[in-house]
Formats: sequence, structure tokens, C-alpha cells
Amino acid sequence: MGKSISVAGLSAWYGDQQTLQSIDIELKANTATAVIGPSGCGKSTFVRCLNRMHETVPGARMEGRVRLEEEDLYRMHPVDVRRIVGMVFQKPNPFPTLSVFDNIALALRLSGVRRRSELAERVERSLRMAALWDEVKDRLRQPATELSGGQQQRLCIARALAVEPEVLLMDEPASALDPISTLRIEELIRDLKSRYTIVIVTHNMQQATRVADRTAFFLNGELIEFGDTSQVFEHPRDRRTEDYVCGRFG
Amino acid sequence: MSVKSPETAVVFSTGKDRSVGLPRRRRLSSYFGWGLAWACAGLVVSALLDLLVTVVMKGVTSFRWDMLTTVTHGIAGGLQNAILGTLWIVGIAIVMAAPVGILGGVYLSEFARSGWARTVRFWTEVLSGVPSIVVGYFIYLLLVLGLGWGFSALAAGIALLIIMLPYIVSSTESTLRQVPWSLREGAWALGLTRFQAVSRVVWRPAAGGIATGVLTSIAVALGETAPLLYTAGWSAYNPDWHLTHSQVGYLTYVVWTYIEQPYPEAHALAYSAAFLLLVVILCIHILVRMLVRRWGGGAKSHL
Repeated sequence: MGKSISVAGLSAWYGDQQTLQSIDIELKANTATAVIGPSGCGKSTFVRCLNRMHETVPGARMEGRVRLEEEDLYRMHPVDVRRIVGMVFQKPNPFPTLSVFDNIALALRLSGVRRRSELAERVERSLRMAALWDEVKDRLRQPATELSGGQQQRLCIARALAVEPEVLLMDEPASALDPISTLRIEELIRDLKSRYTIVIVTHNMQQATRVADRTAFFLNGELIEFGDTSQVFEHPRDRRTEDYVCGRFG
Repeated sequence: MSVKSPETAVVFSTGKDRSVGLPRRRRLSSYFGWGLAWACAGLVVSALLDLLVTVVMKGVTSFRWDMLTTVTHGIAGGLQNAILGTLWIVGIAIVMAAPVGILGGVYLSEFARSGWARTVRFWTEVLSGVPSIVVGYFIYLLLVLGLGWGFSALAAGIALLIIMLPYIVSSTESTLRQVPWSLREGAWALGLTRFQAVSRVVWRPAAGGIATGVLTSIAVALGETAPLLYTAGWSAYNPDWHLTHSQVGYLTYVVWTYIEQPYPEAHALAYSAAFLLLVVILCIHILVRMLVRRWGGGAKSHL
């Protein structure tokens, strides 16, 4: 079951450049939230702060508080945070030279799943959740890099789901994919949000309206507007949101 | 302009013959430059060819298969003791050098803060520039005399280790750096630690490059003479597999000493030893080439 995330006073920097300015936001459990905004507005930085990937970049730092239900993510070990808050990246990044099966089984083995039958069962379950099982069930031993781009991205989703996170972050997960693959990913997101809290960064506003319950609009590192997707797109409260969703800039 | 162009075209096309003064001087200096470059290249290649042909011709004619199964007697006999000794010393060296060098390279590329990494990288380069005879003498003072190991396989192996380390460290580090950052992020995002990310994921596309470094270092070690002169000693018997207090024979010693003896039997042994080394090192380099081609020298072919 998903968990809620509450962010208070979150600021982030790369070196001297501030990319997030004191963000406060509450993400409800089991909802899909779209994060929209023009390039460089800090939306990727925002999601990367939620699983502490931000701090892996040399020179990057953050301030503020991110809580998952009652737990402060910045008091936990980052490795533990990333097991609870999974992430899918813009470009599919399956592990090369590893098979489809091992791409998913790798993290499971490291978290102590040893029995072959249990491994096989959990790999299958993850692949089914990512709507990939039927396409790859006869190719589990092939290198993951031989799959198509869309399949690779669903494999990366399956890989993230296999470790049973509470939250799934997606940083423009469909921007490198063709329209058909994009639709499959969107169907998947609608399907997954009953079990996970999903945060999806997207450049594509139609995509936000198709998959997200709530939408957050970022501009120059600030959270300008946050509300139900229909409200943000149809009756934006802020002038800048209106300009952006009507395509007047960005 | 278009009217004039046929005329000028004619002038230019025949200009070669008519031109005098500066153009001709330029042409001559160009020929001279090219000629010089060709001559220098030819000099380098012919020196190498001469060396190869000499070693191969004399090696092939003097090599006998029973050299592989008999030991040296005085200035004649076989090479079995030297072959086994070389394998023994290089084996000891690689068992230490591969793990230390690979982990050192991993440390530099994945863990070290950049300032510290730069320092270590600088000293690795300094280390690779130290003359190998100095390394040999250092080990001689420190281990052969200092710790009283005597001329021994372990002292020789440690001397070779110092020669081999820079090759392995730098090739490991540089191929790991070529692995796309996205793979590390993918691994970290699954809750892998930095070390798990390297040991389970990131090394895979770099494996070819790492193996190349290890093989190259073996090829270098096989051909080293200077670091062994002060450390291995010489033995006409097969190695007794003791690490210390036991001298060992090795192939480059045969090349180095026996070629100076005024006896054809000694020359036969020296050329055969050189020939064997040449063949083995050539095979290693061909293997390296195949690895580089197959793995694309790193991560590029995968993402």
C-alpha cells in the first residue's frame, strides 16, 4: 500500500545555484501526482530529493524536511530510503550483460531472497504488474538490452516494483518512447496507483491529464500551483499556470 | 567573370610546368618533408622488423622441443627451469597485482573525492615512470637483505607487482569512468550501496577493459629483466615452489646473460628464450585486441 509524502521547506542547490525554493507540498497516498513545468524549473530535482538521489551528484545539497507518513526520510540511511521510494528514469537503463530475469532478481537477491522458487515467483509478479510478462516470458534468459525501448522501460518499472516500494517516482518515463509504448506506460500508471503513491514528472500536458489525479506546477524552482488535475488545467488560480497550460510559454 | 574563367583555368592547369621561384621551392620542401617522414617511419619499422626477423629466424632454428622438458646445464641444456620460474614469479605477481590494482582502480573511479583521486593518480603515474632497475634495487634492499628473504620468488613477484600495478589501476579506472552514469543511478535507485552497484552492475560493461589492463600488465611483466636481477637470483633447477630463501631461474635472465657467452649453445638458448617470450607476448596482445574488439573497449556498445 502506498504512503503519503509531506514536504516542508524543501530547498535544493547544485553548487551555488539554487534549483528549489522552499517547497511545501502534501502528496496523498495512492494518488498519481503529475509534476509539470518548463525545462529547468526544478521538477526533476524535486523528485530526486524524494528518494535522496539528489545528493549523489557532487556539489549538490538540500535543506528542509521530507516525511513518508511519520518517518523523516533524511534521518534514514539513503540506501533504505531508496528501497521504500523507487524510481524510474527518463532513459531506460536496464543493466547491460544481465538477462531480463537477472535485471529484476539482482536487487531481490541482495535483499536476502535466496530460494529459487520465491525468486522466480517474485520476478514473474513484478513483470505481470509492469504488463511485460506475456511479451518476455519465453525470453527471460536473454540480455535485457535486446528488448525494445518500450519493453526496456517497462522492465525498469518491473525492476523498481520488485523490491516492493511504497512510492514510485517517474522522471519523464515516456519521453524517450514511441506513442504506442507511451500509451502502455500510461495505462500502467493508472493501474499501479491503486497500490502505490506515484509522482510523475512530465513535459507532456495531455499525459498529465490522462494519468494524474493531482498536478503540481513548478516555475523557476517554486511551486506555483498544486491541486486536482482538472482544476489546474481548466480553472488555474495563478496567471502563470494559465499561461503555461495554454501553451503561451515553455 | 564567367567569360574569363576558361582562360584562367587553362593557366592553372598548366601552371605546374610554367611556375618558377617560390612555388617550386615550396613543392621541393614538401617533397623533402614527406621524404623525411617516410624515412623516419621506415627507420622505426625496419629496426623493429630486423629485430623480429633476427629473433624469429635464430629462435626457430635453435629451438628444440626438448628444451621445454629439460633444465639448463651450464651453458647448454633446456629451458624448463626458466619457463617454470617465469610462470611462478609472474603468477605470484598477478595474484597480488590483479586484486590490488582492480580494487584501487574501483576506488579511484567510484569512491575517491576528486582532489584525493587526483593525488593518487599522480603518484600512480610517477610509479609507472620509475626505472624498473630502481624498483629491483629497492626490493633488494627492503626484502632480499632487509627482511632476509634472500633471492626468492616472492621478492621477485613483489618487484613485478610494483611494475604491474599502474597498468591495472589506470585501465580499470578509465574503463569504469566510461560506464554511463545512468547505470549507477539505476542501481542506487534500487537501494544498492555504492560498492554493490560497482560489484554487481557497473563492472560488467567495463570487464573487457579491466581484463585488457591485466593482460597487458602480464605481457609487460613477462618481458621484464631489470627488477628480477636483484631479486630472483638464478637457478638451473626447476623451482621448488618455496616463496622465500630459494633462487629461481627465469627466461629473460637466459636472454640477458647467455647472449654474451662466446658459445653457440649459449646463443641457441638465449634466442630460444627470446623467441618463446616473443610468441607468448604476441599471443597476449592478439587476445587483448580480440577483447577490445568484442567489448568495444568499454561501455559504448551497450547503451
